[in-house]
Amino acid sequence: MEVVEKKQNGICILGLLGRLDSNTSPEFEKKIFEVIEDGTKSLIVDFESLDYISSAGLRVLLKATKELKRSDGKIVLCSMKEYIKEVFEIAGFVSLFPIVSSVGDAMEEF
Amino acid sequence: MIANRVSLELMNSLSELSTLGSSLEQFGEALGLSSKTLFEISLSIEELFSNIISYGYTDDAVHWIKVAISHEDDMLIIRLEDDGIPFDPLKAEEPDCECPIEQRKIGNLGIHLTKKFMDDMVYERQGNRNILTVKKKITGT
Repeated sequence: MEVVEKKQNGICILGLLGRLDSNTSPEFEKKIFEVIEDGTKSLIVDFESLDYISSAGLRVLLKATKELKRSDGKIVLCSMKEYIKEVFEIAGFVSLFPIVSSVGDAMEEF
Repeated sequence: MIANRVSLELMNSLSELSTLGSSLEQFGEALGLSSKTLFEISLSIEELFSNIISYGYTDDAVHWIKVAISHEDDMLIIRLEDDGIPFDPLKAEEPDCECPIEQRKIGNLGIHLTKKFMDDMVYERQGNRNILTVKKKITGT
């Protein structure tokens, strides 16, 4: 699991690589809360290179979006594989996050 | 020849997930499972295994969890056996997946996903052990 951080037009993009599971989600949690504490309000999480997610990963995203909402910030998710999107659908998370097909489309959500 | 059973004995530590994951992957690939099916099975095993680790034990001792993966006809069967406190995941409360974000809780979401992805789940308590058997219909074998 690797998290790659990029900044573009004042928007922070976190790219996820590999597996977001019970083992690796603490690392992602640390990173996402770091950027939120640094004052980021517009956040894109790019799922393009993410192969796996479990409820541990969903937990981090839920916690982060609750935190960002308090400061009127927003998280947009993009480029999800179809089977990963299904996890979001079953969990009822599609109503909590805008999910779009590319980073470009995600930029337009802000 | 394809082995039709893999048995593992794992410590109650999340670091064991990678051993579990790679064993499952090898087993699944030998059976020719699609990546979607393999993903759904991996997720379910992770959720069940991490639940045992998180809620099963009240001491700090090392415990062993037995995991067996096998297949019979068109069913993939996973059996988890642990000596934790009695816990029947089938009785876990369903999460509310409709409520607004402020009230949204993550509890039991793992079990909820597992129930959706697997076709059958049976829980038994035998002596001081929890035995959970989950099955998923597989195609392409």
